[in-house]
Amino acid sequence: MELLFKDIDAPGLNTLRVYEQRGGYEMSRRALDMHPATALEELQASGVRGRGGAGFAMGKKASFLPQGDMDKYLVCNADESEPGTFKDRELMQKNPHLLIEGVLISAHAVGANKAFIYIRGEYDYVADILEAALAEAKAAGHVGALDLWCHRGAGAYICGEETALLDSLEGKRGNPRLKPPFPAVQGLYQGPTLINNVETLMNAPIILRMGGAEYAKIGTETSTGTKVVSVSGCVQRPGNYEVVLGTPTREIIFDLAGGPPEGRSIKCFFPGGSSSPVLPGTDENLDLPYDFDALQKAGTMLGSGAIIVVDDSVPILDVCMKTAKFYRHESCGKCTPCREGTNWTVKMLERIERGEATPMDLDIMSSICDNIIGNCLCVLGDAMAMPVSSMIKHFRKEFEAHMEHMQLTSTEMSRGPHAGPYDVLEPIGVATAALG
Amino acid sequence: MPRPEVKLVTFSLDGREVTAPENAMLVDGAKYGDMNIPVFCYEPKLGAPVGACRMCLVEIEGIPKLQTACSTPVKDGMVVHTQTDRVHEAQRAIVEFLLINHPLDCPVCDKGGECPLQDITYGWGPGTTRFIEPKRHFRKPLELSPLIAIDRERCIMCYRCVRFSQEIAEDYQLVIQERGANSYISTFDGRPYVAPFSGNITELCPVGALTSSTYRFRARPWDIEGSGSVCTLCPAQCNVELTVRDDRVMRVLARDHDGVDDGWLCDKGRYAFQYTHVDERITQPLVRGSGGLQPSSWEQALHAAAGALELAAGKIAAVAGGETTNEEAFLAQRLLRDQLGSNHLCASPAAELPARLARALAAPRLQATVADLEFADTILILDCDPVDEATIWDLRIRKGVRRNHVKLAIASARPTALDPNAAVTLRHAPGQLEGLLVSLDAALTGDEGNLSGASTAAGTKAAEVRALASLLSGGGGEVVIVASERSLTPAAAAALLNMASRLGLSGRDGAGLLLAPTSGNGRGLREAGFASGMGPGYAPVDQAGLGGMVVAELAATVSVLYLLHADVLRTHPDRDAWAEALRTVPTVIAHESVMTDTVREYADVVFPAEAYPEKEGTVVHPDGRLQRLRPAIGRPGAVRAGWWVIAELSARAGASDERFAAASEVSDALFAAVPHFRGLTLDAIGGRGLRWQETDAAAAFDPPAWEPVRLSVPDAAPGGLRLGTFRTLWASKEVDMSPILRFARPAPLIELSAVDAARLGIAHGEEVEVACPVRPGEAGHGPARPGNGDGHRLRGPAVVRAAVPPGSVFVPEGIRAAPANLLTGTVVEVRGLHTRVEVPSVLGVTAAQGIEGRSQQPTESDAVGGIGGDAPLAPQEGSGDQTADAPSASDEDSDPDTATGGAA
Repeated sequence: MELLFKDIDAPGLNTLRVYEQRGGYEMSRRALDMHPATALEELQASGVRGRGGAGFAMGKKASFLPQGDMDKYLVCNADESEPGTFKDRELMQKNPHLLIEGVLISAHAVGANKAFIYIRGEYDYVADILEAALAEAKAAGHVGALDLWCHRGAGAYICGEETALLDSLEGKRGNPRLKPPFPAVQGLYQGPTLINNVETLMNAPIILRMGGAEYAKIGTETSTGTKVVSVSGCVQRPGNYEVVLGTPTREIIFDLAGGPPEGRSIKCFFPGGSSSPVLPGTDENLDLPYDFDALQKAGTMLGSGAIIVVDDSVPILDVCMKTAKFYRHESCGKCTPCREGTNWTVKMLERIERGEATPMDLDIMSSICDNIIGNCLCVLGDAMAMPVSSMIKHFRKEFEAHMEHMQLTSTEMSRGPHAGPYDVLEPIGVATAALG
Repeated sequence: MPRPEVKLVTFSLDGREVTAPENAMLVDGAKYGDMNIPVFCYEPKLGAPVGACRMCLVEIEGIPKLQTACSTPVKDGMVVHTQTDRVHEAQRAIVEFLLINHPLDCPVCDKGGECPLQDITYGWGPGTTRFIEPKRHFRKPLELSPLIAIDRERCIMCYRCVRFSQEIAEDYQLVIQERGANSYISTFDGRPYVAPFSGNITELCPVGALTSSTYRFRARPWDIEGSGSVCTLCPAQCNVELTVRDDRVMRVLARDHDGVDDGWLCDKGRYAFQYTHVDERITQPLVRGSGGLQPSSWEQALHAAAGALELAAGKIAAVAGGETTNEEAFLAQRLLRDQLGSNHLCASPAAELPARLARALAAPRLQATVADLEFADTILILDCDPVDEATIWDLRIRKGVRRNHVKLAIASARPTALDPNAAVTLRHAPGQLEGLLVSLDAALTGDEGNLSGASTAAGTKAAEVRALASLLSGGGGEVVIVASERSLTPAAAAALLNMASRLGLSGRDGAGLLLAPTSGNGRGLREAGFASGMGPGYAPVDQAGLGGMVVAELAATVSVLYLLHADVLRTHPDRDAWAEALRTVPTVIAHESVMTDTVREYADVVFPAEAYPEKEGTVVHPDGRLQRLRPAIGRPGAVRAGWWVIAELSARAGASDERFAAASEVSDALFAAVPHFRGLTLDAIGGRGLRWQETDAAAAFDPPAWEPVRLSVPDAAPGGLRLGTFRTLWASKEVDMSPILRFARPAPLIELSAVDAARLGIAHGEEVEVACPVRPGEAGHGPARPGNGDGHRLRGPAVVRAAVPPGSVFVPEGIRAAPANLLTGTVVEVRGLHTRVEVPSVLGVTAAQGIEGRSQQPTESDAVGGIGGDAPLAPQEGSGDQTADAPSASDEDSDPDTATGGAA
């Protein structure tokens, strides 16, 4: 079933003319005639859950916004930076008007008078397309009284975290804020703010067209609707596939994405982007229905809906290192466990790679991950700790085998943990020396 | 604005019932149950918590995740656990994380022994580490500024210093650079962190990352003692704790007092203590002989002074500076008034107000407190910049505006540092506060005639005054008016009292006047009776003496001039007249702690005086709080207590047979003599001070409510360029004497508006000359005499500021190199000299980017050629510019040539 991807490859869908020919902006016009509460009810009835990662029910979140005639904001989170996730890019690139229409409907439903689409800075050409579409929509009068802007980020993964995004949007350093207060109460410029992912908002016109109750019939009881899944890694046909939530994972990886290359088998896969704990490629795991709750029950999460497949040709240490390094690089440094924990994990993995570690270090590493999980200001720390500790849990034997192999084959004496030149960071010095 | 009400609630803490204020953060609430929850980033003084360090994680029933106690408000019935395994495990983990990159160089770290990181590691940490990888390294230590060294390896990224810079001082200089494990504290562009309040970050830092240059490697916590006192370097009288080692002051820390300083100190207060231990200290009596000032014995000096007093036969005048305590002032005025029969007492560079006005202004019902600044509905600042007049009030006003949405109105001649925070800003002509207040009073009463006349006279517009008046009258009744006595002429004072009466400030809690005296203990001097027109406790006198403003007359009248901590050549207007007076008066007796120009050139008998860390006595805060000075260190050399010297002179000069055995006896005599101090004791004043308005004795001083008087429109400000002067907080002898503050010494400069600069063809940074022409029929303040006005020219770089109103020119006062008090006229001529000179700036125009700081302390030669010396750096000045003129900064700074217009 294709909702979001319906006619996605129709030529010129990104232009207003083609979009309108296919019934574009009908729903936003209809929504504007509705009472906001009615529109909000439709969204709530659909049961659509956030597609950005946390999977919180969109209608419920929208209903948290206080009533009143203060400035209210709607922010579209288009800072899609999770490794393995590229669904928003295709959606915005090919069908930008659907997003604008979704923003219009949602803003009306929550009474927001100002809206921002915060798009990832690296999505330069997508932002160009989006801005062109926005200009067209504004010129055609579709946007109406809504103060809608497209804002480009400056390249930080953390700005996909909703409160960091708000800080960044306000012109500050993009650091997550303390919650509570939640953005719905005190968000952008201290005003009530609804933040939703691109895909979530794009569902709004579809929900309105179908009716919320009808939409809720798609998928499973608690995971309604369809989901665009980005499949990448060791598969024959990587790409975005729209599936009904609850479809068996095997169907997505094998039937749609073609499975791993000939002769290889699946070692493990990330079911929901690089921050979700990995699942080994067992039949049991491959048969899991792809929806929010089934994956949570299996100890992982649907996240942003990005399946990264790792086959048996890839050493798990490399996967672990790549993941940990990404999060160390992207940690904002505000809270202690994430700043120090991600850094420590990478340093330990590097030591394992060099063959200077013992199996005891794996215990320390999972203990570090345990100390990170749940203790951070935002979920970035957890995003590293969860997959890393899941890899140690499921593939401990492989780590140990690597250690043994390195010890047996190493021709050089280990220089020891304290050897080698220290990396000296060279920040900009303070120039009092030159004051005269 | 209503103060927050405190409601007590009960919650469960580790199984015990604890009663604490509702919505206090759990960290603070737990203290009511004697439970200490460890924190690093949380500091209530910094405002809202950030929850960054995660040290304070606790378990709260009903919430699955551990919560940060620093950001969780206490609620009724909450069940909190701080001693479960889960909490302990998390706290151990955080300490372990914090220590993995911390160098653990405690044995050589200045913080060692008084370090929260050490204490918390000991109390909550794991005891061992599992981290065997190489630690992160930074070049270190670097100079963050001449005052502060930064060691980035020790930093635990608690954000306290950055939050201080961003949210308290609002200088926006400190930021976090880079990301994640590589992040570090820096200024945005790597230039020095120079700001009026920068030193506070060394006290906020919970580790040894930010250390004070003056304290680095000087002492360990077990070598030192703390001694509480009060800083008397400006009227704000912040409470300080002096750290003493071997009878030397090593550093100055804040001794938090909500009613005075809110726990902060300015850099002058924090670093100018160095003047206590400099070579320029006068440590023995000096008597002028044939070869100039010669060291002498106490006996010789006292004999010479007492002899001069006897000979003077009542023809004596005394001038006191702000370091003088109430007790010294009391004894000195008694000596002059009661024993010698002279009322010539001058305690201020500004004109003394008539007793009637002074009494009305000091009325307890009209008195606002410092804490009122935080909760007022509206604050009106009148012709002063709090950062210069009573420095720490600047932070209090910022706090009020930022956290409690206090509306700020500023009416001043010169742009102030608080302009960006103000709801209404109004500029008037220099010296025309009177006109402004008359027009404001007229606007409040609807007197259109006076309004238009007086606003024109003040060089402002009636519409602007009307807008200001409607803000004051329409924004809730709690209005606090902040003004400086420096610009309060008698007519202006009457207008101010009128206004206060019309706004109904009298008797209203949280509203009133807060007047900054012209010097540290200005209010105390007056209340102790050191005034020409008033005795102790504002008592009337039969015949008023000559105040400081009639210098020429004074010189002709008296034969002894007694200077108590007064450097008149530097601080008082009309330097020429003072120099002439000092020259002609036969005997000049001075109490001074360091060698000043006044003393060096003109004093005949010099008594070595105490610096404030050595003093014992009381002072009066501008809001009426009596505070105690307590000696932290012994007096150096032959220095004796000031009160003792004056009492001894009294005894020798005859009449008095009263003897004082200790400073406390003088205090008792003072409390007995001043009606509204009656019943006070030093014990009652204690370490926190006591506002006399809140004691029973206040009933003894109850001037009648002010009846608004009819005001006349003052003469219009003269045409042409009008001269205004200002005094930065750095213009003081203590700053001059402190080696570390060399860089902060104010440099001469001449502030011009962009319009005038363009008209005169003067470029930003060009050297200009200011002169007062003597016109027929006009001769400044004093009688015309040769050399007045036309003989004096002041040179300095032109600073073209967009925020300066056209028609005004400002020069800084109190600069030794270019004394602005030479200029006595109100209208000046400004002439460009077509040579470019260095413009003093907070950032130092020669600062280059990307150069590593040095790990050594600056040496003497460095200081001359490098950090300070003659390179002009004027922190306050520049910071004012940065904030006040931010939108137009590009006009004047980046492209000064555009402002030149048709420069020749």
